[in-house]
Amino acid sequence: MKKIDFRTDVLPLKNELYRLALRITLNHAEAEDVAQETMIRVWNRREQWDTIENIEAFCLTICRNLALDRSKLAERQNASLDEGIDAADHSYNANPEEQTVQRDRVELVRRLISQLPEKQRSCMQLRDIEGKSYKEIAEVMGITEQQVKVNIFRARQTIKQKYSETEQYGL
Amino acid sequence: MDYKYIEQLVERYFQCETSLQEEQILKTFFAQQEQDVPQQLRQYIPLFQALDDSHAQLSDDFDERIQELTCEPRIVKARTIGIGERLRPLLRAAAIVGVVFTIGTAVNLPMKSEQAAADEINYSAYKDTYEDPTMAYDKVEDALQLLSEGFIQVRMADSLRIDSLYSEVK
Repeated sequence: MKKIDFRTDVLPLKNELYRLALRITLNHAEAEDVAQETMIRVWNRREQWDTIENIEAFCLTICRNLALDRSKLAERQNASLDEGIDAADHSYNANPEEQTVQRDRVELVRRLISQLPEKQRSCMQLRDIEGKSYKEIAEVMGITEQQVKVNIFRARQTIKQKYSETEQYGL
Repeated sequence: MDYKYIEQLVERYFQCETSLQEEQILKTFFAQQEQDVPQQLRQYIPLFQALDDSHAQLSDDFDERIQELTCEPRIVKARTIGIGERLRPLLRAAAIVGVVFTIGTAVNLPMKSEQAAADEINYSAYKDTYEDPTMAYDKVEDALQLLSEGFIQVRMADSLRIDSLYSEVK
């Protein structure tokens, strides 16, 4: 098996980890913290790297668990989720020229994704955004491939349905 | 252009029956300009464009921070040093001192012997100046007298100066 090098194998996963954390926590600062902590946790377990089959899935699993802990903590502290969603939108609202109708629709879809249950959100993130196979997602999430498929199916259906409802009735 | 294939892919996408490659095709297709997409498919543009999350990236500071936090202490291998190796600098210094000393002595030795040869008194080389011993005695006496006078004068001058200085200080 290939020897794992932190700088070439783990560090480039930072954006992927960050996006997954962002999808779960819905907050940029929290997501960055989670990504950093994931890196450190992975680093601290470097003695076990040889026994890990898929370092990427391993990192993503740690990242997801950390992000879930954080979001649970945030929920307990009654932090508003809307705040996080707004924060996520800033980068897109920065340029007024980009605020076309199309852009707003994209934003609407992003918001709809953020409103999905966490499992569906994470599955969708890993499949549709990071382009992972069902098998890999199952490994990261610790569920069966069938469950992954069900979650993604529900997520896509919900998004499609809610999106067309919003478009039709302007909800 | 025939968009049946895309339509079919979209349908299969929502049934979770598409492969990763097919999903990539859909993403690429809907990433193009709105006017290039046929009317019946335009509704799906935002759905697929929202899946492009590449703008969400961490800055380079993050890398630096992580590298600072994860720097491994450098592995230093212990090396055994034998007594000979440990004393090597000392021996080297001693050797240098030895060489310098030897050269110094070698240069100094002939010079010394030359000097010694010059200082040596060879009594046989001397020749008598006077034939009459009494005359020679007188001459020596005169010369010593002269020397004695000189000494006396100098001593008087010295004591005078000291006396005057002493009185001045007083």
